[in-house]
Amino acid sequence: MSIGRDGIAGLILLAVSLVLLVQSFQLPSLPIVPVGPGFYPSIVLSFMAAASALLVLQDLLKRRGLAAASASEAPRRNYRLVVITFGIVGAYVALLPLLGFRVATVLFVGALQTALGRPRKVRQWLALAAIALGTAAASYLIFERYLLVLLPRGAWTGF
Amino acid sequence: MLDLLANGLVNIAQWKYLLPLFAGTFIGVIGGSLPGVTITMTVIVVLPFTYGLDPLAGLAAMTGVYVGGSTGGLITSCLLGIPGSPASIATTFDGFPMARNGEPGRAIWLGVWASVWGGLIGALFLVFLTGPLAAIALEFGPWEYFSLFVLAMAMVAGLTEASLLKGLISTAIGLLITVVGHDPIGSVPRFTFGSEFIGGGFPFLPVLIGIFAFAQIMTDLEKLNQPRGQAAEALVGVRLERFSHAKVNWEIFRQPFLLAWATIVGLIIGILPAIGGSASSVMAYDQAKKFSKTPERFGKGHPEGIIASEAANNANVSGSLMTIMAFGIPGDAVTAVMLGAMTIHGIQSGPLFISQNPDIAYGIYAAYILAHPCMLLICVVLMPLMLRVTSVRMAVLAPVVLVLCVVGAYALNNTMQSVYVLLLFGVVGYVLVKLGFPLAPLILGLILGDQIEINLVRAIMTDPSPWLFLTRPISGGLLAAAAASVALAIWQHVRHQNRVAEEAPDF
Amino acid sequence: MARTFVTMAGAAALTGVMAAFSAPAMAQYPDRPIKMIVPWAAGGDTDNIFRPFAVEFQKHIGQPVVIANVGGASGTVGAREAKAAAPDGYTVYAVHDYIHLTFYAGISDVKYSDFEPICLVGATPSVLTASAKTPWKNWQELSDDAKKRPGEITVGATLGSTSHIFPAMIEKAAGLKFKYVSYDGLAPRMNALLGGHINLTDSNLTQKGKVEAGLLRYIAIASEKRDPESPDVPTLRELGMNIVYEVARGILVPKGTPAPVRAKLEEGCAKATREPSFAQAMKLQGTRVAFLNANDYAQFLARIDNENKAIMTDLALIKK
Repeated sequence: MSIGRDGIAGLILLAVSLVLLVQSFQLPSLPIVPVGPGFYPSIVLSFMAAASALLVLQDLLKRRGLAAASASEAPRRNYRLVVITFGIVGAYVALLPLLGFRVATVLFVGALQTALGRPRKVRQWLALAAIALGTAAASYLIFERYLLVLLPRGAWTGF
Repeated sequence: MLDLLANGLVNIAQWKYLLPLFAGTFIGVIGGSLPGVTITMTVIVVLPFTYGLDPLAGLAAMTGVYVGGSTGGLITSCLLGIPGSPASIATTFDGFPMARNGEPGRAIWLGVWASVWGGLIGALFLVFLTGPLAAIALEFGPWEYFSLFVLAMAMVAGLTEASLLKGLISTAIGLLITVVGHDPIGSVPRFTFGSEFIGGGFPFLPVLIGIFAFAQIMTDLEKLNQPRGQAAEALVGVRLERFSHAKVNWEIFRQPFLLAWATIVGLIIGILPAIGGSASSVMAYDQAKKFSKTPERFGKGHPEGIIASEAANNANVSGSLMTIMAFGIPGDAVTAVMLGAMTIHGIQSGPLFISQNPDIAYGIYAAYILAHPCMLLICVVLMPLMLRVTSVRMAVLAPVVLVLCVVGAYALNNTMQSVYVLLLFGVVGYVLVKLGFPLAPLILGLILGDQIEINLVRAIMTDPSPWLFLTRPISGGLLAAAAASVALAIWQHVRHQNRVAEEAPDF
Repeated sequence: MARTFVTMAGAAALTGVMAAFSAPAMAQYPDRPIKMIVPWAAGGDTDNIFRPFAVEFQKHIGQPVVIANVGGASGTVGAREAKAAAPDGYTVYAVHDYIHLTFYAGISDVKYSDFEPICLVGATPSVLTASAKTPWKNWQELSDDAKKRPGEITVGATLGSTSHIFPAMIEKAAGLKFKYVSYDGLAPRMNALLGGHINLTDSNLTQKGKVEAGLLRYIAIASEKRDPESPDVPTLRELGMNIVYEVARGILVPKGTPAPVRAKLEEGCAKATREPSFAQAMKLQGTRVAFLNANDYAQFLARIDNENKAIMTDLALIKK
């Protein structure tokens, strides 16, 4: 009897729902509303806590052995790339309000393209730069100039 | 009634309506085919144009986007295995395998024709059932709405393949996300831990875009730099094989029951508020699989899967249109935007809409019907172009799609807050996928969460007796259906487990 | 690594070039589109009033005015964002009386005095409206019935906002007791009223069509005089209640916006509200065009704020 992926996920969700459940009972109620703001969340959270507990139980009772074998057969996944991508997107989102949409987008598209498939020849680098500039320019022109959908402006660049 | 419809068709056939309809359908097909660009985002982008147009012209354009978008998504679904829009999510299950087996043309055109026929059958219901539905809608109080939403959730619980329990937890997580922030009744902050950022709650669309787009893109990136053959890149630059439209149509009509049932499932999901295209596609797929004589071929490039998913998602459009026209409440985010466009032109939708605005109501019916031939024409003429749109390398596609996701989230409310939410839920969605939690019930919980709470509290505020949920006939009937649906799901699940050994989920 | 650096430098250089090309010469205000924050969803009554306004406004300002619907949490999300925006005149805030109420109800920490006033645009008188499924034909019948059944007549309202305060004022003036049910926004309230799921609600003259069709009943209007378009609806004053309740909508900008910029906006607003097409659009919204310049609007805001504070105190809804 050992705990697996589902069991750990269930335990985390159980903990989260219990913590929030306690919080939902402490919410202030309003004079004219017969049920307080904690009423509905407490229903959802109780349901979630119960389901998570069942998930843990199910995981503990599950017979293992098969799972271990199939895990090694699964195709190798490139988690490094996922982490890098999340990192680049995070940087983009952080820089967006500072540099403004146009500058940040050029940098982001360029950086992510490089991370996903680094160009080897000069021609490829030029294509990369063209796509980065093109994406930023086209989305700016279409959204902000043509469709009047405003895009973030940079606090540092004012642009 | 038919003369009104005929008037509507003649009316829409004028250039001033036909042109926006055609343009809308075109933008819809393109927007739908771009992964990460949802139909909702496309319709939001079209929205500003409609301010300057005649109300019916604007609505015709939006109807076109909706129809075109519901179809356009299948192209990327088949070629890249990424749904171009959530509405074509189930098309990937069989469309992508079929395309990989060397029949991308068959996969795509099966989808397009199934969309056309599903949509047109849906039109019949739209024209003849919206009026009666409006009469019922007036009788819906908070009890009925609450029970209706419970039924919707119970039905989606049956959708989860791997684990019913995980599906239920997913629904609860979705509901929980909507609870965070100010409560919808008295604006008391809940679970915000004193943070301004969380205080505003998590707006629905950024959460949806984040969960869907990131979960998709990141799971694709995992497979990047692998030996070629398995990765999505395998179908880059594909050319469609020779195929015959007649044969594709024969394949669809050989199983009239499948087409009709998928259409009806799509329609019903469309009518049910707040469920939308992705659920209709998945649910019709699920139904097709359950009723099929060859369920084991599903997921391996079975035409039935494509037909069910695509007929359902276009029929879903007609169902959603019925809901906004009869109930005046949005069936999904797209119709929420359409409803906004109507009110901007001073048209109040609701149970009285058809009787008070017959010109516009029948104009929308006509636009919906005509959008289908437009969409077909666009697909026939522009397929080579659209294949190129989808044959972009992941290294190029991913950044561009992510930029569009960011723009979509930002432009929704014009705040960076939405973009932060997008990123946060991108991570959450990816982690949940990795832990084997299905995302569809989560999205459903997310869409329904607010409404379910509001209607529950409204019911209690109107009358403290909880028995009204059961004793009011419509409400009681809906709850009984919900209970039956859960029982059915458990029964099927048990049977499923006994029959087949549990498979390890893909992700 | 070196190569990455070179690329990054290249990208940065390119960006710089691009920036140089489109960098605006410090031209006269305004030289780019102006964002108008409407703190409610598209298609709501506030949105319906400010959209036609934005069309006229941009004509006189000379730059596009883009409406940004920043909805959520009773309008407080939009209020917070407007407060935090740069005071450069490129963000204006479309406001109504809710700003006073949400502050005193303790829902939001944003006060009207966090902004500089530009102008008042319009005022929409509230109308007490009853469901056709109720037996009451007029105020007297309603009042008699309500006295017999205190706390049983249901009123749909956005709690803590104008649609709650207005019936609460009537409740107090007439010595009645209502039961409130939360319905955010006019459209959901109308449907609930039509279905008979609530008995009464606050609406406005936009619902005239439904009243004429016999689906709703106007009980009384909270304006100074009867409306020429609906002369049959009595005012609350005629019925012996000293209540005038109009939802006032205007334009604010973040505190610290330079005076010349404010003057330019004020001028544009004055011209926009004089347009006949705007008056026509407002008639459809059951709204009276009510321009006030920045000075008058400032006094108006201060007065309304005091009034609202008093009302909230009376109704024991105050938290601040």
